[in-house]
Amino acid sequence: MTGPTPASTAAGPVCSPEEQREIEAFLYREARLADESRYAEWEALVTDDMHYWVPAGPAVGDPGQTLSYINDNRARLATRIRQLGTGSRHAQTPASVMRRLLTNIEVLTVSDGGATYETTANFVLYELAAQSTHELRVWPGRVRHTLRRVDGELRMAAKVVELVTATLPQPNLAFLL
Amino acid sequence: MAGTEPRDRPAAAVDYRTLVGDDRVHGSLYHDPAVFDDELEAIFTRGWVFVGHESEVPNPGDWVSRRLGREPVLLTRHRSGAVHVVSNRCSHRGTALCWAAKGSSNRFQCNYHAWTFDLDGTLVAVPYPAGFDKDKDDLGLDRPGQVESYRGFVFANLDGSAGPLSTHLGEGGTGLIDRLCDLSPTGRIDVSRGWIGHKVSSNWKMWPESDNDGYHLNWVHASMVDSSPDTYYNETVLGGETGNQSRAVDWGDGHVELDFRPSYTRALAWLGTTADRVPGYCQALEEARGPERAHRLLWDGPPHALVFPNLFLGEMNLAIIEPVSPTEMVHWHTAVQLEGVDDAFNARLRRQSEAAMGPAAFIVPDDAVTAERIQGALAGARPAWAERGRGWLDVSRGARREQTGPGGERAALVSDETTNRGFWRQYRRVMSSRLTAPSPAGGAA
Repeated sequence: MTGPTPASTAAGPVCSPEEQREIEAFLYREARLADESRYAEWEALVTDDMHYWVPAGPAVGDPGQTLSYINDNRARLATRIRQLGTGSRHAQTPASVMRRLLTNIEVLTVSDGGATYETTANFVLYELAAQSTHELRVWPGRVRHTLRRVDGELRMAAKVVELVTATLPQPNLAFLL
Repeated sequence: MAGTEPRDRPAAAVDYRTLVGDDRVHGSLYHDPAVFDDELEAIFTRGWVFVGHESEVPNPGDWVSRRLGREPVLLTRHRSGAVHVVSNRCSHRGTALCWAAKGSSNRFQCNYHAWTFDLDGTLVAVPYPAGFDKDKDDLGLDRPGQVESYRGFVFANLDGSAGPLSTHLGEGGTGLIDRLCDLSPTGRIDVSRGWIGHKVSSNWKMWPESDNDGYHLNWVHASMVDSSPDTYYNETVLGGETGNQSRAVDWGDGHVELDFRPSYTRALAWLGTTADRVPGYCQALEEARGPERAHRLLWDGPPHALVFPNLFLGEMNLAIIEPVSPTEMVHWHTAVQLEGVDDAFNARLRRQSEAAMGPAAFIVPDDAVTAERIQGALAGARPAWAERGRGWLDVSRGARREQTGPGGERAALVSDETTNRGFWRQYRRVMSSRLTAPSPAGGAA
């Protein structure tokens, strides 16, 4: 179960078609870099206060009060990526073969005069667990981003991934979701 | 389960005395479906297993859902304040009463014919009662034959013939639980912040082993060590076999520990902090225990140990090892919270738990992928190969340098396989004794 998507404040599009295209291009690029385990390039997309959250249920409430699969502040995310880069992170050696479909992209809110966007999208990630069982693992869910302009460029300030199966036990999730 | 009913194959068809040696175990034990069935009977039905902790059901009506072997049960808190374990299966026609992981309710009502049960499993109401000749008292929910708790840890024995919990835990098991609970100023821990399930394609027995294996860290967890260089594992389990003072301990009855206490060189090293950073906690513990005892506790920290067969005291985490099938298991974990300590301190424990355990953490996913690689590699190990010397796994490391301690415990270097041997010794004992005779109590009540 995932939580309700916050309603957009306007009936129609909240941003211009140009902004929508820019945002979609950013999200597709982020998805592709994650699919291909290009950790350094992916990390270059995040802000200094990035929050990366994968809850074990609906993404509601304060993640500080419960336990999550992933609840990374910027420092812990840096550790995560540093570990993936050691070459001995067995849970991702070799890296999973992955492709994800990102659909139903909506820009929900624009604030700070076009400096901050809240977006939502649905995804299905196909993962080949190439490091152990060689099974195909399917990860469906909804992803919400907070995007912010830093020196004119879009960056991720938050990525919240709500798995459809969040309340069930999960297999290894050592890649970038 | 089987109880006094005839089993569908001869008892003790698997020769556990042969397949579990003193210093080697046979790979077929990790995938043979007959072995798995025997384990659910001998260990998870006829033995004591951990169910949950009383802090998970703090208020009357609270319940959590668990599985003991194949039996779905509910851990409940009654209005009287008592904690119960009841079957999550209507005694009428078998419908599951609850299907969420946890909840709160005054009664359990079956959706099929609306039979209604109290939180202790008593049948309190049925629609159209005139049609029943049986006494409602005889139609309550099934209950395990024995339920007992120790310092809030609730254990059950489905069968009811396992003897007292105190015998199962022994001084070794109670001592481990004491060392965790005594870290709380009130003597009570709280584990109500939610469980994270980690699904692994491996046999469940790899987890009592790997959770308490002091030999693998340099290799399986090399990436964690390289990316988090200030971890306290540096001084407790890394650095070569003489690089630390930690011990691998077999407390008997399958309860085994990696004892880090001798390696710590200051208080609170186990928390990755110092006393001046958590003054509120240190003061509360001193007030509760006196300065001398508090100092000792703050220095020694929590145990890293298995309470046989399914409870891992993972320092400031609890984990439940749940068998699913011969080749699947779930490693559930939650953060230990200390009652009577400020939330900033407990928040630190929650964040450390997320870093250490679960499918996306920095440590356990590397154990999981290793377990899955073992599982895949063992698929061809046939029981018949045992006599021909094939398919064996070696757990002999350090056997000749084990020493017996004052409590009868065996101990050796932390990288020695004393813990593995301790688990398997108890496994062999229960698997070769509990299956040979029908259960005197006739199975789960």
